[in-house]
Amino acid sequence: MSTIFTVFRKELLDTWRDRRTIMFMVIIPLLLFPVLFKIMFTVQESQADKERAKTLHVACFAPEGAAQRLVEMLRAGEGIEVVADVPRDSAQAFTRDGRLDGAFVVADDFDAAVSELGPGRIDFYYKSTDDQGIARGRLRGIAEKFEEALLAERFERLGLAHDVVEGVDLRTHNLASTQEQIGKQVGGFLPYIFVIFCFMGAMYPAIDLGAGEKERGTLETLLTAPVNRFHILLGKFGVVVLSGLVSAVVSIGGLFIGVRQMREIPEEFFEMVARILGVETILLILSLLVPLTIFFAGVLLSVSLTARSFKEAQSMISPLNIAIIVPAAVGMLPGVELNALTAMIPVLNVSLATKEIIAGTIDGLDLAIVYASLVGLAVLGLWGATQWFRRESTIFRS
Amino acid sequence: MVLPMIAVEGIRKTFRLSRGQRRERGGAARGATVDAVAGVSFACQPGRIFSLLGPNGAGKTTTLRMIATMLRPSAGSIRVGGHDALAHPEHARRVLGFLTGSTRLYDRLTPEELVRYHADLHGVPRAQYRQRRDEIFARLGMEAFARQRIGKLSTGMKQKVSIARTLIHDPEVLVLDEATAGLDVIASRGIVDLIRGARERGKTVLFSTHHMGEASLLSDDLAIIHEGRLLYSGAYADFTRDMRTASLEDEFIRIVEEARV
Repeated sequence: MSTIFTVFRKELLDTWRDRRTIMFMVIIPLLLFPVLFKIMFTVQESQADKERAKTLHVACFAPEGAAQRLVEMLRAGEGIEVVADVPRDSAQAFTRDGRLDGAFVVADDFDAAVSELGPGRIDFYYKSTDDQGIARGRLRGIAEKFEEALLAERFERLGLAHDVVEGVDLRTHNLASTQEQIGKQVGGFLPYIFVIFCFMGAMYPAIDLGAGEKERGTLETLLTAPVNRFHILLGKFGVVVLSGLVSAVVSIGGLFIGVRQMREIPEEFFEMVARILGVETILLILSLLVPLTIFFAGVLLSVSLTARSFKEAQSMISPLNIAIIVPAAVGMLPGVELNALTAMIPVLNVSLATKEIIAGTIDGLDLAIVYASLVGLAVLGLWGATQWFRRESTIFRS
Repeated sequence: MVLPMIAVEGIRKTFRLSRGQRRERGGAARGATVDAVAGVSFACQPGRIFSLLGPNGAGKTTTLRMIATMLRPSAGSIRVGGHDALAHPEHARRVLGFLTGSTRLYDRLTPEELVRYHADLHGVPRAQYRQRRDEIFARLGMEAFARQRIGKLSTGMKQKVSIARTLIHDPEVLVLDEATAGLDVIASRGIVDLIRGARERGKTVLFSTHHMGEASLLSDDLAIIHEGRLLYSGAYADFTRDMRTASLEDEFIRIVEEARV
């Protein structure tokens, strides 16, 4: 036991001093989301502010009569300039090439259609790609106000109340609790993040403690110490597992910090999340993550020990990322539920079980299958790495 | 009669060839396996230096790795310090210090931490560690850089750390595999001093080299290995007495060339 701890302590110290590992284990998971969200929202906000403050140039072709009111409303609109000298047949071209922000073309029979209590046709041309639809919204809002005014007059003329057009008073009631709703929505995304970061966080220590040590030739020295090889492996294993877990936890912390920056999310949401994510829930999720990380460590160390060099290990392990990302992403898809089959698929089972745990709807039998599958995989991972570590052809492959 | 500290008896190591290696060697005609070491026997006595000479690829490293219990022989027996190295490899490792020229160190640790790590792995008690550490660090002049990261040290300093790491558990047997390879004259001298010092303290030293100068300087006993087979094994004095050529180097080449014919 003391040998395992001796190896663990040394490997932990060595890993902790490796900038590359710390970058992947702590810095990236911690800063990725806050920085990403900050950039995203800053750019989006500044773009939106610009769009809101911008003077919109618009053309409106309306025949004499009721539709002239639309022109008046546009002229009265804040930050809107109605351009008069645009030929009617150029409205679309001018809008497309950016000389106009929008153009309204009212049909010649608008008055006739409206007076017969029908809809009068107005074509609204705009060009929207990446402006978040703010300019379009401002112009469309005026057209909608014009319609409201037209309808108000119509109801008054006919002596009807507004709600005469409402045939059904449909009231919808979602009986899913807030916890269930958050669980199913947020719960799918969380494991996607922590499973991937857990794998990434474990990856570099595994490469360094396996292929790195082989490449340096230090493994030879280690193998001449009067220590059981299994104990050496367990010491290394411990550090790889710990790195994966730290990375997973830090990534969730980073995500939380990132989300806290979003002003759109009300404080009540965070209070609710804090209530849902109690100590018990967190421990339950971690208990799923531990065997999964042991499995990851087993696979990563086996591959790493097979490689001749750090570089070779990197290129061998990189494709494994896809094998982790795909099932983690599938877990986010709507309709994919935890059942006896999905509970046996690694990564996907953690993803789906986390969703159910957060929602408070986890089924005991399904959870037992998830545990059985994960513990089985963890044992398999450890056993595989042990076999690999005992093979002379692996250790002395050159 | 003094019992040998290393007794190697008919050891053989057969490696399975990969497809690529088989192709390089001319297909199936040369077989799917190769004997890197084929029936080698020798013995190393305490207080003596045993040199294992051989050209590149002769089987020196494989032989030393089997003695150091890193590789398991396909056949034969090895005893180190009286322990059956195949049945109880951990007992054999307890009395053994191993150093190779290709071994690097943990760059992110300090000499202090690295030497302590190896002492812990060898189960050296705390008080004994302190005494040995102080003695070795003083002898090698390591105190000045004991707390610096190894990655920042010069080759010579690193060599001293390697020596300290090898000696910290006071091994009865030293196995050195081309330990001076790639070192300059001053750093090589450190290894030579290590070997001589060990002999003076009654330790057993087995070292491989293809530098005839080192062999002639240090050897008490000598063996020549080529293509996995032992071509000569005996006392250095007997070897030089029976030489048919003028120098150790010439004699070594003559023996290897004759074996090729």
